[in-house]
Amino acid sequence: MGIISLEKINHLYWLGRYTERVFTTIKSFEGYYDRMIDQDETAYQDFCRRLNIPDIYGSKEAFVEEYVYDEKNPDSLYSNLARAFDNAVILREEISSEVLAYIQMSLDLLKSHGHKQAALLDLQEIVDYLFAFWGSVDDCVENEDCRNIMKCGKYVERLDLYMRLSYDYRRIEKEFSKFLNRLHRIQIWYSTENLGKLTEILNKKERWTEDYYDALNALGGIIEVI
Amino acid sequence: MYDVDLIDHMDSINQLLARYGVKFGIYKNNMFHEQLFPFDAIPRVITKAEFDVLEKGLIQRVDALNLFLKDIYGEKKIVKDKVVPEEFIFISKGYLPECERICPPKGIYSHISGIDLVQAKDHSWFILEDNLRIPSGASYPMIARELCRRAAPATFRKNSVVDNRNYAMMLRETMDYVNTGGISVILTPGRYNAAYFEHSYLAERTGSVLAVSSDLFVENNCLYYKDYREQKQRVGVVYRRISDEYLDPLTFLEESLIGVPGIMDAYRAGNVAIVNAPGNGVADDKGIYYFVPKMIRYYLNEEPILKNAPTYLPFYEEDRKYVLEHLDTLVIKDVAEAGGYGVVFGSNLTKEQLSEFKKRIETESRRFIAQEVIDFLDLDIMDEGVPVPRKADLRAFVLSGETTRVWASGLTRFSRNPDSFVVNSSQGGGFKDTWVLSR
Repeated sequence: MGIISLEKINHLYWLGRYTERVFTTIKSFEGYYDRMIDQDETAYQDFCRRLNIPDIYGSKEAFVEEYVYDEKNPDSLYSNLARAFDNAVILREEISSEVLAYIQMSLDLLKSHGHKQAALLDLQEIVDYLFAFWGSVDDCVENEDCRNIMKCGKYVERLDLYMRLSYDYRRIEKEFSKFLNRLHRIQIWYSTENLGKLTEILNKKERWTEDYYDALNALGGIIEVI
Repeated sequence: MYDVDLIDHMDSINQLLARYGVKFGIYKNNMFHEQLFPFDAIPRVITKAEFDVLEKGLIQRVDALNLFLKDIYGEKKIVKDKVVPEEFIFISKGYLPECERICPPKGIYSHISGIDLVQAKDHSWFILEDNLRIPSGASYPMIARELCRRAAPATFRKNSVVDNRNYAMMLRETMDYVNTGGISVILTPGRYNAAYFEHSYLAERTGSVLAVSSDLFVENNCLYYKDYREQKQRVGVVYRRISDEYLDPLTFLEESLIGVPGIMDAYRAGNVAIVNAPGNGVADDKGIYYFVPKMIRYYLNEEPILKNAPTYLPFYEEDRKYVLEHLDTLVIKDVAEAGGYGVVFGSNLTKEQLSEFKKRIETESRRFIAQEVIDFLDLDIMDEGVPVPRKADLRAFVLSGETTRVWASGLTRFSRNPDSFVVNSSQGGGFKDTWVLSR
């Protein structure tokens, strides 16, 4: 690994986590949004409960508006994207201007297009940018360890959200395998104890949900770079 | 008359600049805001013949300024020979007694000099000021040219423009030349600094490590970068983007949280190069500006190739008399200010204000300089699809390493306000690409 500080490792990890948080919650939001059109107007409440975020919205309209665009709502997609940007903007020389641009454009889009077109159209563009972001990471981030740290962050976040949102076990298993693949390549300290605990729980296959909270805690404790 | 292709793509270029976060920060009401730096697609064009003269003049000037700095922090011959009065040296805020007798690696003080010029209506160039501390702005024309070539490639096929995309290489070579053995670092105060885009972009382009103060430490008079495994990497050169007074809390302001404790000891021991050298402020003080032509004659035994704007020092009785009599037609500059602040046009003052200002000049004569208002050659900018004339200056970048070189480009800043001479980005100005023609 080249010359990189612990602080930058921290930012790389959280850049991975926040971009993934935006990406996966958008994908999930799309499903809830569809349900709210003509099936269940209060579906967003389940979304909030699963993500453990306060339901401050009161209506589906308020939810769509405030969960997506509200700069003052700390749980909004905008706020999570801003946190991704905060981590990315101080990594320009590690991740390159090309990669940073996709986060910049996503943030600019939410800021400027908000209220002008349907939320799902804005979000589709952001999903496109985030796909491009990860593609450009592979292409432009020359330091392999930087890529691995970011991807560890990405898979930790993805696993966390998949577990919270009750994704099918096979998908969780697949992402866990990807995570292990990255984790074993990085040269930073991680907790083998928490990793062992999570492995043990996930080995129970579909019955992993019996240890739902233990699984989430173990996952969150594997990499502690803060 | 203008390159239509480039103008047609002005919006696209500005969108690309936004895409890459080409911004500068300002503080308003104690809040940090980032703003885009508006780009105008009509370039400033400098012919080859014109650039040849500018290049020679700028090299001459920067060489003399480097000799001046070496002299001031060494033998002080220029003071002893009464070419520059000591009043202008030792009470200057930029003069740092802590730098006395320190010889920087390879004897270079100003590695990156930003020299501000304006062109008069008769097309002659005048030096407005020298920036020898941490002149900013090179990154904007660097990235703008890259994006202009992308948006309007035909423009650069049709016109013989010298490629300016070598700035990062020139900067890296300058840093490598003075490197005392170790990695190259760009030291930034952090992301809430006005020029953070530039810090990070230059780090990316030069392949330097972008560091904040907590990444660096001094041990046994050597500077180190601490990596994530707690292993230390020796630093050979620091392009610091923080002001002298914040650089080292053990030497300068002890309350500084953005500096590196002990870095001055490492520097004094010759174990690290600091780019630009601390203490350079003594040479780009607005009061010292008056003496630069004299320095050129003194150190180089040459006549200055580039002219200063006609300048008066109220410190001298004869000049003070002239300034007080002609205050309503002059521009007054506070030598302690920068960034377009502390600049007052006499013509804008009321009778009472003029009288008040005269009193200040009489009581604080060292604090101000006065200059004739140069009738700038206006440059056209596009304003809602129509070309309109606006005031503009040029910041030329001169890099001093193994040799002194002038970057064949520069930052052309313009005022968007038709009645304003102030072109600084912090005051709402925009920028243009600066073309140097190859023939």
